[in-house]
Amino acid sequence: MSETASDRSTIDALREDFRARIAAASTDAAVKTLADEFLSRKSGSVTGLMKTLGTLPPDARREFGALVNALKQEIETSVDERRQALAAARPPADAVDVTLPPRTRAVGHVHPLMLVRQQVEDIFTHMGYEILEGPEVEDDFHNFEALNMPPDHPARDMQDTLYLGSPIVGGTWGAHRGSVPDAQVRAATLLRTHTSAMQIRYMKTFPPPVRIIVPGRVYRRDNLDLTHTPMFQQFEGLVVGEGVTMANLKGTFKAMLTALFGDVKIRLRPSFFPYTEPSAEVDMSCHKCAGAGCAICKQTGWLEILGSGMVHPAVFEAVGYDPDAVTGFAFGIGIERLAMLKYGVEDIRLFYENDVRFLEQFS
Amino acid sequence: MKVLLSWLRDFVDVPGRPEEIAATMSVRGFAVEGIEHLADGDAVIDFEVTGNRPDCMSVSGMAREVATAFGLQVRRPAVSTSIRRANAAGENGPALHLASLKTVERGDIEIVIESPELCPRYAGAVAEVTIGPSPEWMQSRLRAAGVRPTSNLVDITNYVLLELGQPMHAFDHATIAGGQIRVRTARPGETLKTLDGRQRTLSPDMLVIADAEHAVAVAGVMGGADSEVTAETKTIVLESAHFNALSVRRTSKALGLKTEASMRFERGTDPRLPVTAMERACALLEMIGAGTARGTVVDRYPVRVEPNVLKLRRERITGLLGVSIPDGDVRRVLEALGFALRDADAGWDVTVPTRRVDVTREVDLIEEVARHCGFDRIPTTFPALTVPPPPLDPRIARTRQLRALATGQGFSEAVTFGFTSAPAAEAFAASEAIVPIKNPLSEAFAVLRPSLLPGLVESAGRNIRRGQRDVQLFEVGNRFTRQDGESQAIAFIWTGAGRTPHWSERTRDVDFFDAASFVSTLADTFDAAARLQPLATPPTYLVAGQAAEIIAGGKSANGGAASTVRVGHVGRLTPNVGELLGLPAEVAGYVGEVDIESLAQFRRTALKATAPPRFPAIDRDISILVDDTTPAQAVRDTVRTLALPQLVSLREFDRYAGKGIPEGKVSLSLRLTFRAADRTLTDAEVQSAMDDVLSALETKHGAAQR
Repeated sequence: MSETASDRSTIDALREDFRARIAAASTDAAVKTLADEFLSRKSGSVTGLMKTLGTLPPDARREFGALVNALKQEIETSVDERRQALAAARPPADAVDVTLPPRTRAVGHVHPLMLVRQQVEDIFTHMGYEILEGPEVEDDFHNFEALNMPPDHPARDMQDTLYLGSPIVGGTWGAHRGSVPDAQVRAATLLRTHTSAMQIRYMKTFPPPVRIIVPGRVYRRDNLDLTHTPMFQQFEGLVVGEGVTMANLKGTFKAMLTALFGDVKIRLRPSFFPYTEPSAEVDMSCHKCAGAGCAICKQTGWLEILGSGMVHPAVFEAVGYDPDAVTGFAFGIGIERLAMLKYGVEDIRLFYENDVRFLEQFS
Repeated sequence: MKVLLSWLRDFVDVPGRPEEIAATMSVRGFAVEGIEHLADGDAVIDFEVTGNRPDCMSVSGMAREVATAFGLQVRRPAVSTSIRRANAAGENGPALHLASLKTVERGDIEIVIESPELCPRYAGAVAEVTIGPSPEWMQSRLRAAGVRPTSNLVDITNYVLLELGQPMHAFDHATIAGGQIRVRTARPGETLKTLDGRQRTLSPDMLVIADAEHAVAVAGVMGGADSEVTAETKTIVLESAHFNALSVRRTSKALGLKTEASMRFERGTDPRLPVTAMERACALLEMIGAGTARGTVVDRYPVRVEPNVLKLRRERITGLLGVSIPDGDVRRVLEALGFALRDADAGWDVTVPTRRVDVTREVDLIEEVARHCGFDRIPTTFPALTVPPPPLDPRIARTRQLRALATGQGFSEAVTFGFTSAPAAEAFAASEAIVPIKNPLSEAFAVLRPSLLPGLVESAGRNIRRGQRDVQLFEVGNRFTRQDGESQAIAFIWTGAGRTPHWSERTRDVDFFDAASFVSTLADTFDAAARLQPLATPPTYLVAGQAAEIIAGGKSANGGAASTVRVGHVGRLTPNVGELLGLPAEVAGYVGEVDIESLAQFRRTALKATAPPRFPAIDRDISILVDDTTPAQAVRDTVRTLALPQLVSLREFDRYAGKGIPEGKVSLSLRLTFRAADRTLTDAEVQSAMDDVLSALETKHGAAQR
C-alpha cells in the first residue's frame, strides 16, 4: 500500500468533512471554530498534514505538498466567503423584529343596536324616506288620543305606560325643515310607549305625501327578562299619499327584510292596532332554516317581525288629513328583535349591560 | 279563549285535526297560543282574541269565524218545546236548545232601570232550582275552558257565558227585597260585600244592581255575597243584561276587580243577546235537571240599539288593499260573518250585526273582506315616489359622525336606560331639577336620567367587576331635567390605560388630559373650539382640582372672541359617586358630558376654503417663569389680547417645576408662530412682536424670561 494513496484519501476525507460543515456554520463564531479546527497553527488538522511533509521523500513531498496547499487555500477561501455571506445576511443595526406586536391604537365598537339601526336607516334612506327623531317624553294626545285611543280605551292596557311625576318640555325635532316643534305646545306627561307618537307630530306639521322613518327609544312598564326591557328601541314607518295600498306595505317589508336578512318570504297575519285598519302582523320566513323549522322559529318556519297596517281614518281626522283623499300605511319594528335575530342573541339584557367583551364582537 | 273542539262542533261541522284548524285561523286574525290534546281524543285550542273582538270571546263567536274560514254553515240555538234531559253530550254535544220564554212587563220580579244610558237592556227571569253539582259533561267542558265547576246553577251561567258570550248572574230570590231589581248608580258611600268576600265602598259613578233597599251586585263586574245562591236556595232570579262598556271598564278598574263578565262587558257585548242567553240558560236548567224556569222573562230595553248601516265602495276596497276583490267574495265573506248586504251605488249598503262593536266604518268592513279572503291575495308592489324626498335630518348624520369619532378614539358605544335611581340622579343634578316617574317599576328606575353619566358609570363598574380594567365607553342619548326638558348629549367614561399598552414603552393610566383631548376633538368636529374653565366648586361628581367646565366658541384664525357658551363638564369622577354606581373607589374614572345642540350651533353651514399660505411661518420659542398658580389660559389670553396681526398660533410645549426653578414658580415654554399672508416676515418684525409679548407677560404676570 502506497503512503501517498493513503494520504491522498486523508486529504479527500478532510475536504469532504470541511465542505459539509462550513455550509452549516451559521455564525461568525462557528466559522472561526471550524477554521481553527482545520487551520490552527497548533492543532489544525491541515496544519498537522503540513507538519508530516518533512518526513516524505522529495517527489512525494512536492506532489503531496501541492495537494495539501490546495486544500488549505480552498478552506481559507471558503471561510472568507462564508464570513462575507454571514455578514451580508446580518440585519442592519437599525433593523427591528417585525414579528413583535404592533403599537395599536384602540378602536371602539359601535353598539349592535345602533348597527342595526343604521342599517335600517340606510335601507329606507335609499328608498327615499326621511329619517327623523322625535321626543321621548310625550303627552297623552300624541301618544294615545290622536292614535284612536281616547281616554279609557281598552287598548291602552296593551302598553303599560310610565308617567312623569311632573310635566316637562319634550325634545325638538324637524328643525331642519323649518317646523315649529310642537313639543313645546303641550308639556310632556309620559314616556312614549311607541314611536307612533311621531306619526301625529309629523302629519300635524307637514302636508301629505309622507314617507318617514322614526327611530328611537320607547318605554313600557315591563320588568327585565329574556325578551323584555323597560326601555327598548323601535322604528316607526309612515307612508301617506294618494293611492298608497296594503300591497305597497307588503312590497316595502319585502324589500326591507330582504336587505336585512337575505332572500326571505313574508307573510301578513290579521291583527289589531287601534291606529291601523286593516292591521297586520308581519312574519318573515326563518332566515336560519329557510322555513324548514328550527329552534329559532320554534319549528314554525316563521318569525314574527313587526306590526303594521293601513292608517286608520280616525288618525287622519285627528291630524287634519282627508281620509277620502289619502291612504297610508304605518309600521313599527323592534330594533332589539331585529338585532337578536340577526346576531343570534338570545337574551335581550345583553344589549343593555354594555360588557365590552360583548360589544367588541360588533364592527 | 280556550275552545273545546267538540263544543265548537256543536255549532259548526269543521273537519280536520285541531292543528289544521289552528293553522287556518291563525292567518284569519286568531293567533293560536297552544293546543291541548285530551285523553278522550278531544282537544282544546287556545285562540288569542284581540281586544277589538269581544264577539269572539265565546264558542259560538269563534264558530262563526271558523265557519266563514272553512266555508261552512253555522248552527244556531233554536227554541224547542221538547227539551230533553241530556245526561251526556250527545252525538253533536248537548242539543242547542233554547227554552220558550214569554216576555212579560212584570212577572215574578219587577225590574226598574234608573240609568238607561249605563244599562240599555236588562232581562230577568225567575226559576225554581235544586242546587247540587252539575253533570260531568258540563263540568268537563267548563274545565276544558279553564273555568272551575262549582254548583249546577253557577256552572250554567258560566256555560252560557263561554258558549254565547253573554255574562249572566243568579241571585237568591229570597234575598231580593221587595221582589224588585233596580239598576241604578251607587249612592254616596254605599258599600257592598262582593262574592270574593271583600267589603267594597262604591262611588256614585258606579252602576249597581240593587233590590228595593241595597245594592246586591256591581253591575257587570261581580255579584254581592248576601244575594249569592247557596245550597239552600230554592228560587233564583237570573240576570242577563247589556251594560255600557266604558262604565264597566271604569268600575272594574276603580275596584281593581277583573272578572270573566267585566272583561266581556268592558269590550262590548251584543245588546241583542240577553234574552237568547236567558232562553239558553233556562233550557240548560231543564236539561241538567237543576230546576224549572217559570216560563216568563221580564225584558227591559229602554234604549234600543239599532244596527249600523255602512257604505262599502268597491273602489275603496281596491284602493286600500291594492287588489280587486270579486263582488262574490265580498258578499260571501260578509254574509258568512252575519252582515247583511244590499246593492247600492258603487258597492253595497251593509248592515252590521250589533255584536260587531268593532265595525263602525267602511275600512272595518274592508278589513273583514281582506281577512277572510286572505292577506296572501294581496300582491307585493312598491309605493310610488311622487315628490322629491325631503332633506335628511342633520341630527341623524350628526349622531353618526359622533359615533365614528368616538369609536375612532377608542370608545365603545354603550346604550343605557333613560331612567335611573334617585340617588344616582342626585349625584349629577340638583334634586329640584330631577323628573320623577309617577309609577316607577322599581327604585332603580325611579327618575328620568338628568345625565347620561350614571348609566355609563354603572356600565363601566360592571365591566371592571367582571375583570376588565381598561374601559372606554360613550353614549349618545337624551337626558331630562325640569328646567331644560329633554336634551341630547354625548357622554363618556374612561378608566385604566391612557393609551394602549405596548412592549416598547411604559404603560400610563388615563389622566385629565386624555379626557380633555376627547372633548377638544368633539368640539373640533363641530367647527368649535373648546376652552376648559377650572371649577373652583365643581359638581358633586367631579373631583376638585380635576374638574372643568367646557366653554365652546366658534373658531376663527386668531381666536377672535366670538360668543361662547357652556356646553358641558369634564373631569375626574369622585370616588364616592363611582362607588355609589358600582365603580370600585380605587379606580380612577375620567368622565365628560357635552350638550350636542349647544355645540352644534357652531357648525359652519358653508365653508369658503382658502389656499394654503404661500409664505413661510417663523417659530419663536420662549421660556418664562410665572407663579405656579397662573393658569396657562391666562398667559394665552394675555398674548391674545395684544391682537398681533401676524401671530397665527401659540402653543405651550413644556411646563417644568423643580430643580433650578424657584419655589412657587413654574417654567412655561411657549412656541409662537408668526406668518404674514403677503410676504416673508423679517426677523425685526418678529422680534418686535416678541418684545411686545414679553413685555405684556411681564406686566401682567410678572413673568421673567429664562
